[in-house]
Amino acid sequence: MTWQLLSVAFFGLLAIWFGVTVFRTSSMVRSALSLLGSMAAVGAMFLAMQAEFLGVLQIMMMATEMTIMAIFMVMYMMDPGGLGQMDMTHQKRVSVAAGVTGALAGILLALLPGWGPIVRSVPGPARQTHDLGIELMNRSMIVFETAGVAILVAMIAATSVAIARRR
Amino acid sequence: MITLVVALVVGASLFGVGLYGALSQTNLVMIMMGIELMLGAAMVNLVAFWRFLHPGAVSAQVFVLIVMTEMALEMAVGFGLATARFRARGSVEMEEATELRG
Repeated sequence: MTWQLLSVAFFGLLAIWFGVTVFRTSSMVRSALSLLGSMAAVGAMFLAMQAEFLGVLQIMMMATEMTIMAIFMVMYMMDPGGLGQMDMTHQKRVSVAAGVTGALAGILLALLPGWGPIVRSVPGPARQTHDLGIELMNRSMIVFETAGVAILVAMIAATSVAIARRR
Repeated sequence: MITLVVALVVGASLFGVGLYGALSQTNLVMIMMGIELMLGAAMVNLVAFWRFLHPGAVSAQVFVLIVMTEMALEMAVGFGLATARFRARGSVEMEEATELRG
């Protein structure tokens, strides 16, 4: 369990550090890459917590998403490289107060309750993936199908919003 | 127990950082980054609860898959809106988006 605690703590700190870096750098491309680092560290936490399938999926999905995000940054930003040191923040004090309050409330909720007995043994990766597949095709089929329909709706909505209007 | 608490503390801290980002940034894409961090924090908590309290409950992993899907949807719709906004106004700065103000 010690290696697990150390790995979760290490990758957790890495995820938080990269998360803070997202909003500290003036280069938008660096922000996107920092978010990729944070999400990859979250994926590594999943691996450390023996959720192998989710960990690999998280790293692969986020690598794609953040690359697309970086491309959009370059397309839509006046200064994607951050050379002009533009300040793109507002209501800083309120935001810091809200962020700190949210984090402290979450930490208190993590520390206060007794979470009950910890389960030591976990099904192996092959068993987990098999069970997840069966779950998706069985009991959670409606949820899975709803997610599919939601993706379709979002694709249509995003395309129709983004498409140029004909006069 | 300690590993579960460490994971939950990491989740709470990531949520706080994401909340700060979503509230403090003026750029639409940066606001989306803050939301992504908050959703990432939710996933950390879900996986931690699954691993340390109910590793037999596969439905927790389905929940994580749904959150991942939601992250992708948020990105797709957000970038659609960003494209529309950029076409109309030449910028994705939300400080300038005051049309819906009452």
